[in-house]
Amino acid sequence: MAEHDESGLEAVEQGPLTADAREPRNVASTGDPSDHPSVAALLDRFGDAVLRHRVNAGDQWVVWIDPSRSREILGWLKDDSEHVYDMMSDVTGVDYGRGRPVEVVYQMFSTRHKRALRIRCPLPLDALEIDTICDLWQSANWLEREVFDLFGVTFRGHPDHRRILMPDDYAEGHPLRKDFPLRGRLSRAEQTRRALAQEVERYYLADDLGHGVPQEVQAKLASQARPDARPDEGGT
Amino acid sequence: MSTKTVEFSLSGSREMGPDGIARSPLAPFDIPEPKIDTERMLINIGPQHPATHGVLRLVCELDGETIVKVVPHIGYLHSSFEKLGEYRTWNQIVTLTDRMDYLAPLIYNCAYVMSVEKLMGIEVTERCKVVRVILMELDRIFGHLLWLGTTAIDVGAFTPFLYSFQEREKIYQLHEALTGARITTSATRVGGMMADLPTGWLDGLLDFLDGFPKTLDEVDRLLTGNQIHIGRTQGVGAISGEEAINCGLTGPNLRASGVPYDVRKDRPYYDYETYDFTVPIGEHGDCYDRYLCRMQEMRESVGILHQAMARLPDGPINVADPKISLPSKTDAMSDMESMIHHFKLITHGIPAPEGDCYYAVEGSKGELGMYVVAEEGDAKPVRWRIRPPSFVNLSTIARLAEGHMVSDLIMINASLDIVLGEIDR
Amino acid sequence: MGLGDKLPGGGSSKTTGGMFGAGSPTFLTSRVDALINWGRLNSLWPMPFGTACCAIEMMASAASNYDIARFGMERMSFSPRQADVLICAGRVPYKLAPVLRRIWDQMPQPKWSISMGACASSGGVFDVYSMVQGIDTIIPVDVYIPGCPPRPEGLIYGLMMVQEKIRQESLSKHFEHRAEDPARVARPNAGDEQVVGLTGPFGNSTRQEKLSTGEIPRPESDEAAETIVS
Repeated sequence: MAEHDESGLEAVEQGPLTADAREPRNVASTGDPSDHPSVAALLDRFGDAVLRHRVNAGDQWVVWIDPSRSREILGWLKDDSEHVYDMMSDVTGVDYGRGRPVEVVYQMFSTRHKRALRIRCPLPLDALEIDTICDLWQSANWLEREVFDLFGVTFRGHPDHRRILMPDDYAEGHPLRKDFPLRGRLSRAEQTRRALAQEVERYYLADDLGHGVPQEVQAKLASQARPDARPDEGGT
Repeated sequence: MSTKTVEFSLSGSREMGPDGIARSPLAPFDIPEPKIDTERMLINIGPQHPATHGVLRLVCELDGETIVKVVPHIGYLHSSFEKLGEYRTWNQIVTLTDRMDYLAPLIYNCAYVMSVEKLMGIEVTERCKVVRVILMELDRIFGHLLWLGTTAIDVGAFTPFLYSFQEREKIYQLHEALTGARITTSATRVGGMMADLPTGWLDGLLDFLDGFPKTLDEVDRLLTGNQIHIGRTQGVGAISGEEAINCGLTGPNLRASGVPYDVRKDRPYYDYETYDFTVPIGEHGDCYDRYLCRMQEMRESVGILHQAMARLPDGPINVADPKISLPSKTDAMSDMESMIHHFKLITHGIPAPEGDCYYAVEGSKGELGMYVVAEEGDAKPVRWRIRPPSFVNLSTIARLAEGHMVSDLIMINASLDIVLGEIDR
Repeated sequence: MGLGDKLPGGGSSKTTGGMFGAGSPTFLTSRVDALINWGRLNSLWPMPFGTACCAIEMMASAASNYDIARFGMERMSFSPRQADVLICAGRVPYKLAPVLRRIWDQMPQPKWSISMGACASSGGVFDVYSMVQGIDTIIPVDVYIPGCPPRPEGLIYGLMMVQEKIRQESLSKHFEHRAEDPARVARPNAGDEQVVGLTGPFGNSTRQEKLSTGEIPRPESDEAAETIVS
């Protein structure tokens, strides 16, 4: 924990006290897996891919899994009749900063069994890639786009891999990363100038207007060879 | 860096591409172009538009009046609440929560502190629980009233807008009596509330509840059996239950498709399982069913409010733990220990245990989830994530609207009940 | 400013000389002014550029309880071409800034603008990477209404201040009031130093130059301060 100033006022204005260590403090698994049928089944079937599990906030089960097998595991959780996690409530990212892996967090709920489960996939900073699940759950389409936009995590196989909240050509980086300053990387004057230099019609489909697909989106799409991708597919 | 001006001339801008389709010189050839016949038209709705319910851009490809493709673009209200939350202590974030869903701010206030309290293992007092249920149900009515007014305007009926705003004025006054602000209430704190209900507030609420069902009946008479309204909403924007779950729809949108998922019933909190209320379930999943679900939900909320008022216990509103709740001003000014607690709470904040917590409540728009991540001893979150119901609801709009007409798109957008503040955060 | 040279008549009231005065009001112009201004201020058509919470208070002022129809403003013009006063109600992120500027440019003269709420006036609580720190860096603003959100009475007071501003206009100063430079279309309203001066951090924001981890990013040189730190 960072040292506090004697005045105490510093503490309010500091950034959050994040872990100094590169690894989380408590890596031991907690909780008895037999309390949660899905956790027990996961350990049974995918034992090697499950990194650890914990019970947080009293009764919420969290399982860390190997991100390279995320699609397999999540797909199994969705399809297996004992579990049927038909609702993907949320997909988000967590960046702890200081070199720790960025985690992609999946909040899942089964409307049939009324059971919730949280899956977390730690991604090292030099390999921020994970398979998409938006063909399994349509709700993940926009949610994954947002994780890409704000954290820079690439979702392999996503049909519409564009930024969603920031402008397409946002050059300052991925805002929710811990090394991104709150006020952005450019000066306000530069941000204002860039904002007004945006073409207001840039988001039209490539058509009569003659503006075409924005250069930045073209470059990104070209570098991720997806033959069935359409640049203007979105929202489905 | 000036705005790039593109010379557009009708005659010179078309060239024949390799596959015989005329395309403009700036369009790339290696990315598949949408097959646009010359009859198809491109319409851009928004971001500044009266009927988009916020700053939303809908780019539509039309074949006559029929929508072939619609692509929503969001981010025009991105205020980075989540990043801002990483620089604020737990109680300071409460003021941020009102500004996301400004149509039902108390639900956000409550959901956020409920999530933090669960993370910290704080059990609030019985009185606080019932008060929060009252406030959340009141704001459910509040949010649905605005939906009702604006949706009616989209259909073309102006009167329900005025009626619903008149009812909302009464709720504004209740908000103001409780917190001092009409919209940006910030009523909750970790461990309790900013302040207890003032004297006479419950009478004010009763007065509102006496008059409200009559207004609702009037609007019912105006809209529910109205052939124009029925014609514009029945069969429009239908989605099946299974698809709706997969798409992540929640709230009245999901229930209108026949799926009986309500967070109050399926993942109950604050003794909701002990309240007597039904959750309206629709059948067809179209705009009309969504309308009926919300109208009925308002009536059910009135019932819950009466029950909650009847069971409201006396007692303290805040948890008695001095490391969580602020001491009274008198104590802080006279007693040394209280002064030190006050000082630590204000300057540092409440230390959290390590872990994370995802708390789902039934917001007025759907499942509102608050996810907080903290490290040991943190006074500020490492990550604060809001799972906004409207964000996921809006992502289904292409599926709902394609094949319908442009005016149906407006109706579908209205029936999804979105609020851009929470979509863009 | 050189603008007068480009406008017909040299930018002064030469074309309206004689009875109509040469740059200063006369009896006739003050009567005509009063009439024109009375007509304008009593029939302002607002262009509601509502984005967030302030838009809800704007809707509440249009509803029956506060009723801006008494001021002749119930006809909210959603087309900028037919609007007189742009009410920017709510926070404006940088993604929305060009849209706001374009809407402003599309409004024909005479036009006025109101910045409603703290976020539109100065960025409000949002001193963040995505938020315009005051729309006066984007468009010229006539009246600022503080509040978060301002009550409908506050909005009405702001509208009345615009009316007061209109009441004091004069035909003889037509070109000063209404001149518009076509070269300024789609450009920011404030120059670079002005933007930096207006939007510099203050108060609690001064500490927000830090990263979430508590470190302060230090650019290697002054140049680097303007460029991206990767």
